[in-house]
Amino acid sequence: MKRLVFRHKRCFPAAMCAICASICSAEVPAEVRPDSAITLKELNVSASRKPLATVQELKGTDLQSLSSTSIADALKYFAGVQIKDYGGLGGLKTVNVRSLGAQHVGVYIDGIRITNAQNGTVDLGKYSLSTLESVSLYNANKLDICQSASEFASGATVYMRTRRPDRDSISLLGGWSSFHTWRARATAEFARKGWCGFIDAEYLNSRGDYPFRYKSQYEDTVGRRRNSDIEFTRVEGTLFKGGFSSHMYAYFSERGCPGGIVRRLSDKYNNVGREWDTDIFVQASYEHSFGRQHRIKANAKYTYEYLRYNTDYPENQNTARVDNHYWQNDAYASISYSFSPWHFLSLNCGYDARISWLDADLKKFCPVRRLDQKAVLAAQFDWRSLRLAASILYQHYKDHTELKTGAADPLSRFTPAITLGYSFLGISLRGWYKCIFRAPTLNDLYYTQAGNRNLKPEYTRQWNVGVEYQYGRGPWSVSAQADAYLNYIDNRIVCLPLKGTYTWSMMNYGKTFCRGLNATLSGVAATRGWRFSLTASLTWQKDLNRTNPDDPDTYDKPICYSPTLSYGITGIIAWRMISLTVSDLHVSKRMWSYADPRDILEPYNNVDLKLTARYLGITASLEVNDLLDVQYEHIPRYPMPGRSFRLTLSYSFDAIIKSVKTRKI
Amino acid sequence: MPNMPIAMKYTKMKPMAAAACLALAASLPCASEARERIILLNEGNWQADNGRISYFDDGRVVSNEWFRETNGYKLGDTPNDIIQVNESLIAIAVNWSNIVQFITPDGKAVAATEDVPNNRKLASDGGDYVYVSSYGHEVGTVDGMAYFTKGYVAKIDVRTFKVVDAVEVGYEPEGIAFYKGRLFVANTGGYAFNENHDYETTVSVIDAKTMSIERNIDTGQINLYGKMSQSGRYLCINSPGDYYDTPAATIILDCDAALEGRPDRECYVPLPYASTYNCTASDGTFYAIGSRYSYYTGEYTFNYVCIDPAKVFESSGGEGVSEKMPGSVIDDIKGMAMPYGIYVNPYSGYIYATDAGEFVAAGALYQWTPDGELAGVHKVYINPAHFLALPDEKNESAEIIEADATSGNIIFNLQGIPVSNPVPGQIYISNGKKFIHK
Repeated sequence: MKRLVFRHKRCFPAAMCAICASICSAEVPAEVRPDSAITLKELNVSASRKPLATVQELKGTDLQSLSSTSIADALKYFAGVQIKDYGGLGGLKTVNVRSLGAQHVGVYIDGIRITNAQNGTVDLGKYSLSTLESVSLYNANKLDICQSASEFASGATVYMRTRRPDRDSISLLGGWSSFHTWRARATAEFARKGWCGFIDAEYLNSRGDYPFRYKSQYEDTVGRRRNSDIEFTRVEGTLFKGGFSSHMYAYFSERGCPGGIVRRLSDKYNNVGREWDTDIFVQASYEHSFGRQHRIKANAKYTYEYLRYNTDYPENQNTARVDNHYWQNDAYASISYSFSPWHFLSLNCGYDARISWLDADLKKFCPVRRLDQKAVLAAQFDWRSLRLAASILYQHYKDHTELKTGAADPLSRFTPAITLGYSFLGISLRGWYKCIFRAPTLNDLYYTQAGNRNLKPEYTRQWNVGVEYQYGRGPWSVSAQADAYLNYIDNRIVCLPLKGTYTWSMMNYGKTFCRGLNATLSGVAATRGWRFSLTASLTWQKDLNRTNPDDPDTYDKPICYSPTLSYGITGIIAWRMISLTVSDLHVSKRMWSYADPRDILEPYNNVDLKLTARYLGITASLEVNDLLDVQYEHIPRYPMPGRSFRLTLSYSFDAIIKSVKTRKI
Repeated sequence: MPNMPIAMKYTKMKPMAAAACLALAASLPCASEARERIILLNEGNWQADNGRISYFDDGRVVSNEWFRETNGYKLGDTPNDIIQVNESLIAIAVNWSNIVQFITPDGKAVAATEDVPNNRKLASDGGDYVYVSSYGHEVGTVDGMAYFTKGYVAKIDVRTFKVVDAVEVGYEPEGIAFYKGRLFVANTGGYAFNENHDYETTVSVIDAKTMSIERNIDTGQINLYGKMSQSGRYLCINSPGDYYDTPAATIILDCDAALEGRPDRECYVPLPYASTYNCTASDGTFYAIGSRYSYYTGEYTFNYVCIDPAKVFESSGGEGVSEKMPGSVIDDIKGMAMPYGIYVNPYSGYIYATDAGEFVAAGALYQWTPDGELAGVHKVYINPAHFLALPDEKNESAEIIEADATSGNIIFNLQGIPVSNPVPGQIYISNGKKFIHK
């Protein structure tokens, strides 16, 4: 059977996290920097927020204590999150929240969405944790004041907030890890006269030849992953001043795309594919307040993405020999304004426009252009203990193409969201509803020999009730939250073979109904040089297929790949300049087909350790991922790496620079 | 793991054949109510290594992982074709595993070769050779590696399970048939939508002995993709078109005309139907299920037809196609979520078809009596697609008798293909029994 959609792969994990809705809550990092004013403005905003949105956040020391390199590793400990990972550093890693599907999760850097016009998903493996101040996950809306319209347009949103340096420094980092992996990073930061920013450059090279083993009654397959190498260079720069922020990002990579581990008599033939990526974006944002009542924010972004996928190799006897190139350009601008006529009311409106161009040297393909416009009206009402937020979002999509299949009809839709909250005695109750859709992507509509221009949008409706409690200040604090939810998804966009032909096509097919519970608990204690932190998250859900009532084999049966139970526990013990992070992640069994009850992915536990020591600007860390060498999979026959080690050494010159600076002054 | 009979998917009527044979087993043997024995290949999901064999015997699915249970290991990824080579050997093309797997009729693995990567479809001369079409460009032969720009056909000697010869044909050769010492190979050019060549339109005729091309018949239709059915001198070949400008078609090819050296245009008749899934019926006609689809309009037209190849040729396509299959076969197939294969048991005339359903759920095997009465629906595995009937062992144990093929019944070879020119000394099937032609 021919498959049209090309494949990526994925990679590995490690991690930990902390979850706290209580943004400016009271964690006192072990190495408190008295002068770390971070951004005062943001702090103020955070401080004024009472918990209303459903949010989990990981930041500061906890974030850096993670045994991880990519944000996928950090997110996997959030409640309600499923990471889909094809294994290996180069493997495609996407995040799915509450089983909505990866394309319903918006990923934002400093308030501006990362987009992929082609397939609508973001490969989290391309973004580093090292440049981030915090990572947060919001179910439904963030409910900040002055948000852009596109921030209302996803079922769930991941916010990555870039670190704002508070001093001048230069740091160098070198690391070695298992499977022939090494990396180097250099960062220069500055902060003076209200301006701050950094340049961060990283290079990584990994052969990714990790061992795997499949052992069952019917097989004992031992092997090493082949064609799982990756090499990338990432360069990022930022510049901030007050309400102005800007970010430049460039990522260049080459990687192998290994296939599933299937029965072969030898390694003589391999369905090898290789992929080259270039991702570049520049973005800027400006926010300004007028008096106490008005606030305005403008965003602009330009993205260029290039992808080359090549299978034209002699050892590839299995697929077409393709060497395809894809180009995407994306220009985005938004403006939003908020107005607070009284202290208990704020109104927010916003307009976003995005133009995307996609071109590829596929047969029967020609450039596609999409204009995507969004407008939002939102209101927040905050009266004593009662809070209410409501928004209505309008989206309009219009495509232009010379393709003979023609452009899809323009799409216009309104979707609402509403949130209600009430607080008493440190307890906050909340309930919300959100309806949102994802528009078919350009791939879905126009990809040669699969695209279907008649696709309808895929709708999600989410209901949620939650409670949050917070206790303590200063060195001691505990917070807990729990949310119960219902999700309905209609008109899922899937690729299926057409009835009575040999070809595949995108179709609207499928409904799901999901009931779930997310709970998190976190506690921090700090005393005399010691700091203890414990975070636990738990997800329980029943995610049911409601597609075809006439099919007893699938109707009301669990959705494939969806675990019923997953939990993560992370503990951090720090003493002066030494810290130890231990985390354990559990994912229960998942079925991957309805055909045989034995078609399951086994449950697994991942235990990760990270030991870090600092001395005079030198930081050394040792990480062990998958300590117990558990063999597991997210996708059948795509094994994940087992136990691996990582050693990292870094040296920061910041103390020296600082002292020189002080002397000059 | 013990063999668990798989529950019937729907509570339709019990398999007639089973009931009849059970009732009669004690009294007298009945050739016409023979035990139905079917090997069914489930393709599984691509790259999930879950290709499986279902074994159906006596009205029930004995196992949905027959190969594993018999041999202790898995078959591989995406099995794509199965044929009976000779009395004691069955060949399976396991496409994504790059393996041609040989088993005995009781399921035991005999040999496997990876010398023919990206193998597609199989044919046999009923004796010592298996012919395999391949989309690949390399083949490991007894004389070393051979390399081709386009696709090729390899010849495997089943005494050694080595490739003894290979010949380059068109791009992405698919269906293959053996007739009068020649191989007829349909070229698809199936990678044409992403490789730098066009769709093919030809059927290559190869001398099976010397493995050299005798001629290429230009059929005027592109992309000759999928299973090719054979009935005597006629072949039924599917052309799905390109789903854009060129609609699907079916080609009926007359092998004798081709061997007589008639011009290309006189060797085939194109029909405006799709035959995505096709098979040879017990009366020598072809059954075809398919749809004609266009990406421009997003619309498709289904067809369920019975094709009488001789009539088609006599009338140059004007006649010989009817929308008729026995009994409720067409109606039942129309009720399927995703028809995925059709087959007629050459021993008994029982009709089979599969429904792939939701692709991640178990597919279903439908069984009809020769009159088209639905006899049962059975749960199998993912993407059930390719069939092979085995003879009733009870009949077989009654010894092979020498017989003359003049009874007027249709004669099938061991590959289940009706033959019009039986060769003396060879084994054939007639009326559900094997016999040696005098």
